[in-house]
Amino acid sequence: MSDLLQLVFSGLANGAVYGLVALGFVAVFSVREIVNLAQGEYSALAGLSAISAVAAGLPLLLACCLVVPLVVLVAVAIERVVIAPVKRMTPLISIILTLGISTVLKAVMLLIWGPQARGLGPFPGRDFLLGGVSIRSQELWILGTAAVVGTAVVWFYEHTLRGKTLRACAEQPVAARLVGISPRTASMVAFGIAGFVGAVAGVVSSPIYFSSWSSGLALGLKGFVAATLGGLVSLRVALMGGLVLGVLENLVAGYVDTGYRDAVAFLVLVLVLLVRPQGLVLQPKALRV
Amino acid sequence: MLPFILVGAALAAFPLVASSNLVNIGVYALIYGLAAIGLSLLMGLAGQVSLGHAAFFAIGAYTQAILLTKYQVPGALAALAAALAAMVVALLVGLPLLRLRGHFLALATLGLGIIVSVVARELDITGGTSGIFGIPKPAILGRVYDSPREFFWLMTPIVVLGLLLASNLVRSRTGRALSAVNDSEVAAECLGVNTFALRLRVFVLSAGYAGLAGVCYAYWLGIVSPEAAGFELSVQFLLMVVLGGLGTVWGALVGAIAVEGLDETMRVLVPKIVPGATGEVQLIGFGVVLVLLIVLLPGGLAQLWAMTTARWRRRTGPATAAEAAAAATGEDHREPAEPAAGGSPSAALAQVLDAGQVPDRGTVVLAVRGLTKRYGGVVAVDAVDFDVHAGEILALIGPNGAGKTTCFNIVSGVLAPTAGTVEVAQRRVEGRRPHVVASLGATRTFQSLQVFGSSTVLGNVKVARHLRSRSGVLRGMLALTGREERAVESAAQAAVAALGLSDDTERLVGDLPFGRQRQVEVARALALSPTLLLLDEPMAGLSGAERDELAALLRATRTAGVAVVLVEHDVEAVMALADRVAVLDDGRLIALGSPAVVRTDPAVVAAYLGTDAEADDLLQRATQSAAEHTDDGVLG
Repeated sequence: MSDLLQLVFSGLANGAVYGLVALGFVAVFSVREIVNLAQGEYSALAGLSAISAVAAGLPLLLACCLVVPLVVLVAVAIERVVIAPVKRMTPLISIILTLGISTVLKAVMLLIWGPQARGLGPFPGRDFLLGGVSIRSQELWILGTAAVVGTAVVWFYEHTLRGKTLRACAEQPVAARLVGISPRTASMVAFGIAGFVGAVAGVVSSPIYFSSWSSGLALGLKGFVAATLGGLVSLRVALMGGLVLGVLENLVAGYVDTGYRDAVAFLVLVLVLLVRPQGLVLQPKALRV
Repeated sequence: MLPFILVGAALAAFPLVASSNLVNIGVYALIYGLAAIGLSLLMGLAGQVSLGHAAFFAIGAYTQAILLTKYQVPGALAALAAALAAMVVALLVGLPLLRLRGHFLALATLGLGIIVSVVARELDITGGTSGIFGIPKPAILGRVYDSPREFFWLMTPIVVLGLLLASNLVRSRTGRALSAVNDSEVAAECLGVNTFALRLRVFVLSAGYAGLAGVCYAYWLGIVSPEAAGFELSVQFLLMVVLGGLGTVWGALVGAIAVEGLDETMRVLVPKIVPGATGEVQLIGFGVVLVLLIVLLPGGLAQLWAMTTARWRRRTGPATAAEAAAAATGEDHREPAEPAAGGSPSAALAQVLDAGQVPDRGTVVLAVRGLTKRYGGVVAVDAVDFDVHAGEILALIGPNGAGKTTCFNIVSGVLAPTAGTVEVAQRRVEGRRPHVVASLGATRTFQSLQVFGSSTVLGNVKVARHLRSRSGVLRGMLALTGREERAVESAAQAAVAALGLSDDTERLVGDLPFGRQRQVEVARALALSPTLLLLDEPMAGLSGAERDELAALLRATRTAGVAVVLVEHDVEAVMALADRVAVLDDGRLIALGSPAVVRTDPAVVAAYLGTDAEADDLLQRATQSAAEHTDDGVLG
């Protein structure tokens, strides 16, 4: 029993990271209808940058607080320089383009930090045992951060005018422009949020799950699967989906074989699409013929 | 054929002049190029992208390695099994995912790539992380292909053949249908194209190419490890296709050569610039090229080539319009359209409409009962009943927003109704896909134009012969379709002639004026040899003379026994043309009967003039008269 609890708890922490990344997918998709394949790279970049900042002598928490805005800046800059200029953004083009961005980011990280994976030092706090379940303080940091950031992002979209205008842009770009909402700003804000949640996920997860130039790939895929559970448009379901996926992975790793952990996300994706595609298909644009 | 022979000869000559190191790079270019040709079919034809094509490559390589080293299966047989294994996996992945629109296949194949490398690492039979080694070099008739030069020569015919088959497929019935899907999925499906089935076939085929490339890879390296399924390799395949130019299979080969060159250059150059750089340093080049291509040159090298040749041609002398059009579509220049049989539009029409297929006059070809479509609280179509008979023209009129187009969308399978039934040719079709409806002989045109913009007028119309021809992927690849293609061509020519478009046959449809494009849609719908023709505002944008011609054509179509349903705003034109008129208002059928009766119906007058002085009274009478007329309609 305590085995199960242990697996579930650490799975939740793991899943909270996926949930944050999933928020990034939803943020961009709901405004631009782009599946941003570079989403995972924001996390890797934040983790590695924080490690370097700490190595340069900065206190841990200060380093994290500096790195997150930096990654947001990178995400927005990429949107401005590379994504915004493309006029005809078909699904095919958007996939190839964001794949290219992801590859550049990966390669740059490889050149700067080399191929080894490394972890950030743990955040302050002590590990403890609760009812036979060992709880690492870092896992509490992850869960707490995900709860705060997740709530903030959901609140922003659902309760602030600016958040609602973002959605309006996605649904009716022309009408949004007519009432004075700029799609340009909306797109920048969306990528900024994607960079923000990605970076936060990257720094809080780095002490346990490590960061490397290539760690964004699997993280991105799992975040996408979590986001798919919410049809790529629901923030709440995306967050929850991340938690579910994290727990499932841990159970498979614990009871089947650690090696198969990475296969879970794909199976979930296919199974969900098989069983309930209608709830999960990308909201089709109203067909006008 | 000539280009393939030339490329084959050039490739065969390459090892004689190049250094051993260059030939070595060339071998990789050919192996990866084979996989890229398959991926280019998937991206260019099916409009889908695989981010895990290396998974199929690895499945092919592992299957070959296992069969050779553990079971001593003969090489050719093992290669066949390996390609089949990759195709079966693609089938299993594609079946659920290709039904969905959007990005799912891309992300799922990305996941598949991860799974294949996980499984390869975990299983004993795949040799864990170290993989399988000791794969013997291929030997054919006592000749062992073990040096780069020999292996290059072994690969050359395989790649040239792969290229030939792929380029045949692009020009085949399947290629034509899928290219139409990429321009307008809904129009292609309404002409009977089963998008899902065709995409699935192309996806499976592209996995077969990758699997076969994997077989060559296993032979060449003599070892297969989990890296064969690596994401980096998938990116590399993708880059080859994009660099060469989406939609051209030739581009895949050119792209493969360019990317292998880039790969080699980056591996040498990057460590010199960034001291101590190790690992997959070539990725920086791949990523940068990929991004630059999409931003600056989305058509890849093929676009560059087209631009350069166009400029060169302009300098040497103005090309004729026909030549330019032919170059733009990649089709051979053809002689001006041969006149259709008989020459006159009516004779051409008779040639298109298949007399044997048309049911007897008066047979019910479309029966709509209780048709309802709700969007949340809005009722777009509300319990509508009507029948349409062979050999009549039924006009559907009503104010804007009355639900006319929604009715069309439901009948043609574009939308599923909330409630109610639709029978086409005595078969229930509500909620079925448009291609099912089309296979029963019903097709349509569109209020907002849905022409296949990348194709010529004739190319557009040819798509409509999809259901009247049969050749599949295999026959298309082998180009064993000569007679069928001639039949398609002559039927399409006849449909074009029936609309008086023969002078524009070879023009790109997008270059025509709006009204002509509408006529292309009508020609396209007629070319299906339909029994039920649904026309959504076919008169819009047509001149007076053109309207008269179209009306004459529709009368002739009716005479031939086809049932025609027409949505039209020009009420006078409708009243002159239609046998019966159905009036929709606010989703409800308020009148159905002969033009003379409908014209004087008070409910219709109210709907059009909007007098609500005696609204209640009118409403009551409207319901009554609608019910009466509906009964008339059913009794026919």
